[in-house]
Amino acid sequence: MKNAYWTNLFKNWGKTESETVTIIKKIPIFTELNKKELNEVSKLLHDRTYKPEEYVFKRHAPGEGMFIIQSGAVKIIVGETSGNSQVLAELSNGDFFGEMALLEDEVRSAAAIATDHSRLLGFFRSDLQILIERKPALGNKILQNLSKVVCTRLRKTNELLIQEQSDK
Amino acid sequence: MLIFAFLFSTILLPLVDHLESQIKSRALSVLIVTISLISAIIIFLKSFASGMLRQAREFSSQIETKGYAENLNSLAVRLELALKKHVNIPDIDSSNIVSKINDMVGDIIQNLVSLAGTIGGFIFTAIMVLIFTIILLANYHEFKKSLVQFIPNKYFEMGLRLIFNVEHQVSNYLQGQLLAASSVAIMSIIGLYILNATGANLTLVVFIGIIAGLANLIPLVGPFAGMLPAILVAVMNNIGSEAALSHQLFSTVPSPFYILDIILMFLIVQQIDNNLVTPILVGESVGIHPLVVMIALLIGGTLIGPLGMLLAVPATGILKVVGREIMFLTRNAHLL
Repeated sequence: MKNAYWTNLFKNWGKTESETVTIIKKIPIFTELNKKELNEVSKLLHDRTYKPEEYVFKRHAPGEGMFIIQSGAVKIIVGETSGNSQVLAELSNGDFFGEMALLEDEVRSAAAIATDHSRLLGFFRSDLQILIERKPALGNKILQNLSKVVCTRLRKTNELLIQEQSDK
Repeated sequence: MLIFAFLFSTILLPLVDHLESQIKSRALSVLIVTISLISAIIIFLKSFASGMLRQAREFSSQIETKGYAENLNSLAVRLELALKKHVNIPDIDSSNIVSKINDMVGDIIQNLVSLAGTIGGFIFTAIMVLIFTIILLANYHEFKKSLVQFIPNKYFEMGLRLIFNVEHQVSNYLQGQLLAASSVAIMSIIGLYILNATGANLTLVVFIGIIAGLANLIPLVGPFAGMLPAILVAVMNNIGSEAALSHQLFSTVPSPFYILDIILMFLIVQQIDNNLVTPILVGESVGIHPLVVMIALLIGGTLIGPLGMLLAVPATGILKVVGREIMFLTRNAHLL
């Protein structure tokens, strides 16, 4: 009886972190989050499965949030799928995309298609808004990290632009 | 029961979320909000019941000292005479009015027994609604997430957007209704105090105001339900008073026991609420034009009566959001 009591009391001590937490803690948007906060975020994520060649979202569709690849592969394309499409990126396990939609209510600038059986984790603007209301400190950390990601992207774009101009 | 639990949790959710952001515990936030709400209801009911008891005791002592039957009979004769001066009414047999009241008291006692059963049923329903509300408040976001997972991939993002918008509209509407009810309560209390200043001798003013505000949540029937306790208290407090009996509204229209004054005051409050407060607070919160709010109230009332009127505006709000999203979808169907 005593053993069962102590076992129940400390049942979470030896517990390993969930698969979702293992994946999201490597995502720049969720870095600097402690174990408890990561668990909190993992409860908000939507687990979705996609077949090969299934659209995650189309270009110009309203964007509601970002996706993290738990398993499988996704390609990001611009242009029409029928012919003159251009693959911008091929993403795999642990990569993320669509994070701009967390900040603005705008249409998608590119399409995302699953190239394999894929499991994606969705994190959406409405969930981020609720998180900011319920746990402002955690919401602020995520927003700060999101700003850093956007800044890094902007800096890289600037560098590419400068490089292109100097090449001319 | 589930609908009421959902409505209560929608009203209380922003409060619980806000409290959770302060004390960092969902369970404790739900507990604090629920206990505060129950305490407020109990305090209100307790002080209302004790106020009513005090009122009833004073009334019964008035009956004993002043001769209730004589007063009532003379009142009936006077009322009949006064009314006959202004309106043509069929003859009323005022001589046996006391015996009729005695019969009515017997009926009331019989009805009290069945009322006890109804109260038992009501308490059971109230407890169940409370339990459902607590469960919904504690697990609202997880509950919503588990429902959302059934949306197909193609419509997933659009579905989330739709749910968020609908949720937002319903929550705003309910909060708007509560604000409108509060404004009716405050305006009624002010109005009753003004009547008291003119000598109406009303007691339980705050309670009558709160009842008027709560009754206002049910359109059409509510405003009249709010009037009744005020008239009852005015009659009980002023029985035997010559001045109250011969009181005239604007010194022209006979208004025994300030009854017409009370009705006029509540009608003014209702007009201010219907034409100013509700269209601004409720109409704007759902983003519907005041004219559409009124048409929705008319349609809801015609279809399913007072309940239809109560549900008309949130239903219109939901329809508007769903319609807007469907129009957006049909325009952009190629994007899904």
